[in-house]
Amino acid sequence: MKHFRMKQGIAIILAVILMVSMAACTKSETKENTPTATPADSTPQPAGESTPNPDEPAWKLDTSPVELSWFVGASWYAHAWGESLTSKYVTEKTGVNVKLEVPSGEANEHITLMMTSGKLPDLITMGSWENAVKKLWEGDHVYALNELAEQYDPYFFKVAGDGTLKWYRQENGNTYGVPNDSYSPNLMHETGMTAANQTFLVRKDLYEEMGSPDLSTPEGFLNALQLLKDKYPKYKGQSISPFFAQGNVPYGMTEYLQNLLAVPHEQEGKVYDRINDPDYITWLKTFRTAYERGLLNVDFLVDSDTQVEEKTNNARYFMMVREWNGMTAVNPMLAASANPDSYYIAVDGPQNSKGDNAKLFPGNMDGWMVTMISKSNKNPERAIRFLTYLTSEEGQRDLFLGKEGETWELVNDKPQLKADMVELITTDIEKLEKQYGIMDTYWMMRNPVIINQWRPEKAPVIKQMEEFANKQADIDSGIYKGLDPLGDSDVAVAWSRISQNWEEVMPELITAKDEAAFDKIFESFLARRASYGFDKVMEYRQAELDVRKAKMAE
Amino acid sequence: MMAFFSHARFYTMIRKGAEEMFQHKTGHIKSFTRQWQLQSMVIPGIVWMLIFCYIPMFWLIIAFMDYSIAKPMLQSPFVGLKHFEDFMTDDRFWRSIRNTLGMSSIKLILGFPIPIFFALMLNEIRNIRFKRTVQTISYLPHFIAWTIFGGIMLNWLGEGGVINQLMMALGLQDREILFNSDPKYFWWITYFSDTLKETGWSAIIYIAAIAGIDPGLYEAAELDGANRWQRMWHITIQSIRPTIAILFILAVSGILGSNFEQIFMLKNNMNLRMAESLDLYIYNMGLVSGRHSFSTAVLFVRSIVALGLLFLANYTSKKLTGDSIF
Repeated sequence: MKHFRMKQGIAIILAVILMVSMAACTKSETKENTPTATPADSTPQPAGESTPNPDEPAWKLDTSPVELSWFVGASWYAHAWGESLTSKYVTEKTGVNVKLEVPSGEANEHITLMMTSGKLPDLITMGSWENAVKKLWEGDHVYALNELAEQYDPYFFKVAGDGTLKWYRQENGNTYGVPNDSYSPNLMHETGMTAANQTFLVRKDLYEEMGSPDLSTPEGFLNALQLLKDKYPKYKGQSISPFFAQGNVPYGMTEYLQNLLAVPHEQEGKVYDRINDPDYITWLKTFRTAYERGLLNVDFLVDSDTQVEEKTNNARYFMMVREWNGMTAVNPMLAASANPDSYYIAVDGPQNSKGDNAKLFPGNMDGWMVTMISKSNKNPERAIRFLTYLTSEEGQRDLFLGKEGETWELVNDKPQLKADMVELITTDIEKLEKQYGIMDTYWMMRNPVIINQWRPEKAPVIKQMEEFANKQADIDSGIYKGLDPLGDSDVAVAWSRISQNWEEVMPELITAKDEAAFDKIFESFLARRASYGFDKVMEYRQAELDVRKAKMAE
Repeated sequence: MMAFFSHARFYTMIRKGAEEMFQHKTGHIKSFTRQWQLQSMVIPGIVWMLIFCYIPMFWLIIAFMDYSIAKPMLQSPFVGLKHFEDFMTDDRFWRSIRNTLGMSSIKLILGFPIPIFFALMLNEIRNIRFKRTVQTISYLPHFIAWTIFGGIMLNWLGEGGVINQLMMALGLQDREILFNSDPKYFWWITYFSDTLKETGWSAIIYIAAIAGIDPGLYEAAELDGANRWQRMWHITIQSIRPTIAILFILAVSGILGSNFEQIFMLKNNMNLRMAESLDLYIYNMGLVSGRHSFSTAVLFVRSIVALGLLFLANYTSKKLTGDSIF
């Protein structure tokens, strides 16, 4: 009897296997789907509502409960809505309950997939540089904010700065997104707050014990690495990784490093081919030499995010080409650890042969991320009103400071965070964000012009990095950020082929066996680049730059 | 579950049905109606295939268009064979073909027999409890997603990972090697990690086939004086030969495919040269670079070649062993 039961089991297993193997063979063929052309004007005005007043925020007209899904295009974003004090307060006030969604992997791919399926979240916040943003706009997947505002909430025009709206205005006269962290050059000149993030960081105790070696010249850099290898392969019980570059080849080792070297963006009005810059090449060769001598490993080119995080949290890197705002949680943590001096400080990193200061990207008009209202949204009137509210000073205050009396109070007619909140910033940032949800928890609509007046003094271990970056920021270089063609035009395809190839070539350059091999690999890259259509890319960059200059002049 | 059949009847039905189908003794329709209970079990599978495999085929036409997800599907302009020309002249495409064939060949030649050996070995174990335990443990890794298993592999292969520590403890290497940064290791990493993860699972189908062998055959062979090896060779392997043949045919037709999740997890900028398989290439072109028509064109050609391979393998198998799918 037992024998038969086993056979029955096998029959079932076989059936399952058959199903599974069928699933496996066809998975990749189901990518395409019909896109849906969503009709735009299917939203009747809710009954019993007075017409919106351009001088009054319209969210007050309707505070009945409504749920909006909100996609935040950052896989690392881990906050929820509805648990923290701030989010509960805002929901209670406006009736809007937010359901936050984050991508499991790359935001760009995630949204592209959603676009193909035709179902998008109600609100979308995405990096302004992402390919998908342009597709959302061009494909008519999101509402024109100016049209929605005219219809439902003209107060929007009052609170969304004219400059920002104009900056993102498309050729058809519409604006589809509101940026956060957007800085105009005028503002930066006025306040000295440049929003520059790029820094060159070293682990403080180790750096000082090594006698604060010079890292700005190739010789100094190599000597320091040699010293590190000879005397400090292990430091305070940890094995040390000499170097890390954020964002790997395309960012940390290319654009970012070029900024540290103050490689120009244009020469005599012509966009400059930065990869071919002699100083940049010299430094790539320096990295190659370091690798050849066994002073550097290639872990910084292959480590996964988890591995990088693990090393950072344990202060196992000696140097990092890394944005300081990625260190705001780690640095205080390290300063409070058993090795209180193991935190990171900004110092002068690689410099060009003339010894110029770094020219770092400041914040710019593009801002960091842009927020849009998708056409899948069934309540566009509530969405635009909610965005208007969040953009207004009141909304900025509610999200940044929280609820009056609980997290902040008026001191001399000026809102100020309560002392226990300020203390939480250094002692328990997680509690601050999870339980109260203030400050930088919900940064999707953050406007630095408004909130910086309320921001309490930063901890010294963060301030040092920020001030260093501010000093080296090249305020007028914001205009050069992201000149590359995006989308699926021929020139964009050419550029994506070139940049993807560069990601592979760079590791080959660093691991090349000698200088001659390096030159050969680099030469062949330049040739390949030309064959992919690099001259068209340069033309595109030039045209884009000219357009921006014209817009700036307006 | 299938209580309304007596087990014996169940198996007689299958055997009889198979005999009838293959030997064409009775008409298809007659045997089909006699097996309606069994045949109806296939319906969900057929519906699934129609929806996910056949209907999407229609959209292959975008391979001949300049399709943009911003516009409705059929409004995109026809461009003929432009995308086919584009990828045929892309060196990266040919590289991905080489990588796919390389990895698949290793998996086919060195990987295909492993589950068979494993099933045979398992079959010889007389202690049922031990056998079950080994079987369960061996197929458990299959249920770990590649995203997690890949992460574990990366840790093992990393600087301070198990493999480096082991090799150094054994004196086989004197310094840590970042295995995952050297392209020349990549094919072998995919082979070993795949074997580690899937051997137990792949063996199930052979174990099932072995379990279906009539014990009378073994008893008879034993009486005739066949030893264990002879029984294994002359009875077990001969009996599961059709299963092996079918799986081999399927494996050959899948030679242009690769384990996407595995490669996606293990690849990085340094090993991409050897890691980018055809699937990854299609993904990189289609979803990363947004060239949907282009990647559909590649996919189209891949499918046609795979179909050709299927016929070829089937024909060869039919000639050599007499076993085939159709």
